[in-house]
Amino acid sequence: MEIHLKLYGSSKILSDKDILNVQLPNNSNIQNLRKVLTKIISEKYSKSNLNSLPRTAAFFSEKDEVINDNYKLKDKEFISIIPPIGGG
Amino acid sequence: MSVHVALIKIEEKKISSEKAKKFIASEKNGAESIFVGRVRNENGGKKVIGVTYDAHDQAVIKSFESICKNAKNKFDKNGKIFLEHAKGYASVGEISILIAVGSGHRDEAFKICRHVLEEVKHQSPIWKKEHYTDGKEEWLPGHSLRPKKQVK
Repeated sequence: MEIHLKLYGSSKILSDKDILNVQLPNNSNIQNLRKVLTKIISEKYSKSNLNSLPRTAAFFSEKDEVINDNYKLKDKEFISIIPPIGGG
Repeated sequence: MSVHVALIKIEEKKISSEKAKKFIASEKNGAESIFVGRVRNENGGKKVIGVTYDAHDQAVIKSFESICKNAKNKFDKNGKIFLEHAKGYASVGEISILIAVGSGHRDEAFKICRHVLEEVKHQSPIWKKEHYTDGKEEWLPGHSLRPKKQVK
């Protein structure tokens, strides 16, 4: 399955576009997504400051609500990654 | 209407303190409190030339509305609140956030202003990338929205 990860803040380093398409095993949840992101970052972006991102990021559903690690992802679903925030 | 919230595309439009003052103006106000946050030219010894603000627009507006509603309920149901935050590239000196509060009394006006600012920093999905004089740039660390016990 594939999900469309909408990128914000520091996670924009992961792609030139605002969305990163992520391949996942079928029936994956947010916890699986964190593991895949950890792998992507360690393989391609180890020199960036993104190492802690899969652990510290929250995720929003298409309804802009925080979803927990057990949330079952659907094929082609749009999910937002929310790195630690700091406006003001 | 007693609350105004917005994300402002800063390259197209500036955040205006005059607009904020007009919005909160009321003969019922005994106090007005205004907080203006600006991009400063230094951070941690690095010389800053500007900041890019990124935001999850819909979630930011939802959070702003919720924060203002809660502040009114907590401190002054009749208070008026104006809250705008920048999105996009802002140069040193430009306004990044403006909070203006009109209230019956000074204590409530100060408290609402402070409360709104702190809650924006802890709830609203906004990110800052600083740009430095040496050409480098850096996303700043922030506050995780993931429950603390899950961030190991």
